Amino acid sequence: MKILGLSAHYHDSAAALVVDGVPVCAVQEERISRRKNDASFPVGAVEWCLQRAGLEPTDLDAIVFYERSMLKFERILTCALRAFPQSWRSFPHAIKNTLGDKAWVRGIISSELGVPRDKILFTDHHASHAAAAFLTAPTQHAAILTADGVGEWATLTVGHGERRADGSTDITLRREVRFPHSLGMLYSTFTAYLGFKVNEGEYKVMGLAAYGRPTMMEQIGKVIRRLPDGAFALVPEYFEFQTTADRSYSSKFIDLFGPSRHPYDPIDLESADGQRFADCAASVQRVLEEILVDIATRLRRETGLRDLCFGGGVALNGVANARILAESGFDRLFVPPAPGDAGCAMGAALYADRIYFRHPDREVPDHPFWGPLADGPHLARTAREDNQDVTELGDDVLIARVADELAAGRIVGWMEGACEFGPRALGHRSILAAPHDTAMRDRLNRDIKRREEFRPFAPVVTSDAADRFFELPAGGARLARYMSGVFPVRREWRSRLAAVTHVDGTARVQVLDRDMAPRLHALLEAYGLCTGIPVLLNTSFNVAGEPIVTQAIEGYTTFRRCGIDLLVAGSTIVSKRAAVAAASSKESGAWSSNSAAASTVA
Amino acid sequence: MAGVTRGTALDRLMRPVHQWVWADGDRRLRKLLTFAEVETDGGRDILRAAEVTPDPLLRRLYLEHAVDELRHGDLFRDRGAALLRARGGGRGVLLGGNPLPGGHGLDDLKIEGEPDHRLLAFLHVAEKSAAGRFTIYRELVDDDPHTRAIFEQILRDEVFHMNYTYTQLARISPRTYRRHVWHARAKRIWNRYLRVAAAAAGLIGNALLTVMYAVVLPPFAWLAKRAERREPIGWVPIPPARRQTPPRSQY
Repeated sequence: MKILGLSAHYHDSAAALVVDGVPVCAVQEERISRRKNDASFPVGAVEWCLQRAGLEPTDLDAIVFYERSMLKFERILTCALRAFPQSWRSFPHAIKNTLGDKAWVRGIISSELGVPRDKILFTDHHASHAAAAFLTAPTQHAAILTADGVGEWATLTVGHGERRADGSTDITLRREVRFPHSLGMLYSTFTAYLGFKVNEGEYKVMGLAAYGRPTMMEQIGKVIRRLPDGAFALVPEYFEFQTTADRSYSSKFIDLFGPSRHPYDPIDLESADGQRFADCAASVQRVLEEILVDIATRLRRETGLRDLCFGGGVALNGVANARILAESGFDRLFVPPAPGDAGCAMGAALYADRIYFRHPDREVPDHPFWGPLADGPHLARTAREDNQDVTELGDDVLIARVADELAAGRIVGWMEGACEFGPRALGHRSILAAPHDTAMRDRLNRDIKRREEFRPFAPVVTSDAADRFFELPAGGARLARYMSGVFPVRREWRSRLAAVTHVDGTARVQVLDRDMAPRLHALLEAYGLCTGIPVLLNTSFNVAGEPIVTQAIEGYTTFRRCGIDLLVAGSTIVSKRAAVAAASSKESGAWSSNSAAASTVA
Repeated sequence: MAGVTRGTALDRLMRPVHQWVWADGDRRLRKLLTFAEVETDGGRDILRAAEVTPDPLLRRLYLEHAVDELRHGDLFRDRGAALLRARGGGRGVLLGGNPLPGGHGLDDLKIEGEPDHRLLAFLHVAEKSAAGRFTIYRELVDDDPHTRAIFEQILRDEVFHMNYTYTQLARISPRTYRRHVWHARAKRIWNRYLRVAAAAAGLIGNALLTVMYAVVLPPFAWLAKRAERREPIGWVPIPPARRQTPPRSQY
């Protein structure tokens, strides 16, 4: 049976294809359209998935949308009514926005793909998150926790999932916290308050938190109340996300925390305001962690299960994940590589397969590489056309050479096989560099990533060597498989891993098993032979504001315009060091008709 | 080249409006930050063009063009940020940029679907128009040497952009390149009309919905508020019936 899962319209659209119970491919629309966080209907992602599997839309047995769109519309309308008359400004916008296309999902899918309407199914938003977390995890029976901004009505759910011996599967979500009470909205509100883009800047809040002290816990206790049943409630007068589209926090919120930061103001940690913002980030981070740890601890007690599967955008918070693992009593914590809405495309397809169609459980490959392939020969051809220095090498020689280059302080764009599904580069679309000194971090920030100085870079380490460099608790290596946990760097290694050690001595480490990415594993080992430390700095292969590269040509254009020294795709290496230093076309006159003709002839 | 970058008749006619915009600190700041977004988006679209074109020379030129546009975006952004800092931070005075809807990067151009001749014609027309307008802006910011220097720097690039696009268009479509340029001009006017029409439709829609909000919604709002008061806060059990919602239901 061929099932296509879709997520769309809010942020991070994606498509995923499941054939006979096993994922075949999945990709976010942004990786195809090249527009970061593309929320539009994922036509490009669908086309690519079908092409990859050699299918026509009519071959599909079901298309599953990741949420119930009319229920979501009901929530938007109800919230506008509840906020009457303060919602008068946001109402026209919300209604136009929803009735424009978001509410008519069945019609859109049917017309875009040319499939009959009765093939189109829907799941609950949080059921999709739960399925993405549980059905992709190597566990038989696990508690499930999902948390995000908001789905239809739910913002946080708990339950459990079970794979039975007879092959049947069950996912039961027992209870939920409903909008507007939302941990995701709380964190996003602080993201906006601190001058970062919502749904994109949450990482920055987490990074900034390490520079502050949680001195504002009392104030945050006023905006979010803990309830006797273990849940929580946002105090409405501090928030405006229900009444206006302009701003998510109220004037009362500003009275409590002080003036917000303008996105264009730099964060100067030496200044009183800068420190206030850092303290604010530290405080909301601490509150988030404590609520999540408490909910997870109660869930552990209630279910008696040893494994927890955690999905939803909040599960991208690696610091909170590490605390849940360490303090809640669960032995293992599974966070999928795409816990946010993009991952719901995969979750919805798997949910339909196992729960709606009652197909027997099938093992889902435990890796994140479901996207388009990087084409080394294409890269070689393109780079040669541009007179770049291209080398094609066998695996062993290539890995030895790249390890040498890294040890010599060069920055490498590394593309291999299928790209990752989810927001993190886990070794197939990565920028790699030596992790030893802060000069490398600064160089990456300045010449390539062009991002805030306070944001840390992540390391990747072989699973055999992980414990030597990082303090991983039991289950930590599993959580770090998809870079989902933040753990302390061992004190004695911090100075030699300075580029990847955050100001609080931690790192969002990826622990790499050989089976998951054999070539990167081999590269780490080769680098270890060169330097004695099989650890590399691993950051996503993109520049600020752009999606992670997908095709080799995208890696190439990124390589050409930033400070990456070496580009690797498959067996092809393009080197900038020895590249012909072509003069700018402006000066060389390459654009003029004569030289253009000459170039064409050549 | 000075003649080419004089600005269109419409732009010259609109000079008092431009003057009004650039004379005020807030509006100047907003304009710079809007330009930053537009140039960056445009740069990304041209970068995409470099990635999809089969023509090696065009790839190199598009890439250089994209790098220029991305740099222009940075220049505008940095200048905007400097002005913002100089006046002690914005306190919510800077809402959105361009009030007209749509328009990601290059007029919502679908780069993947555009043949090179059409893209080159479009770029040539757009660059020529931008160069003309920037010439006027440069004259209007005489009191602000930093901003003026940015316009001067960008203008030099724009001249290169409009020249290479024209030359390359003539190379790849030697017989029809003039027609492509006229077609691009017409399409640009049509897109402008669509944007204005969409903005007008948006305003009318907003007005109608606001009237509806005031007239029709009050009783429903009263019911919704009453229902809200009865809603429990905290954990809400998920009834088994909801787990059995038919898969085809959107509710």
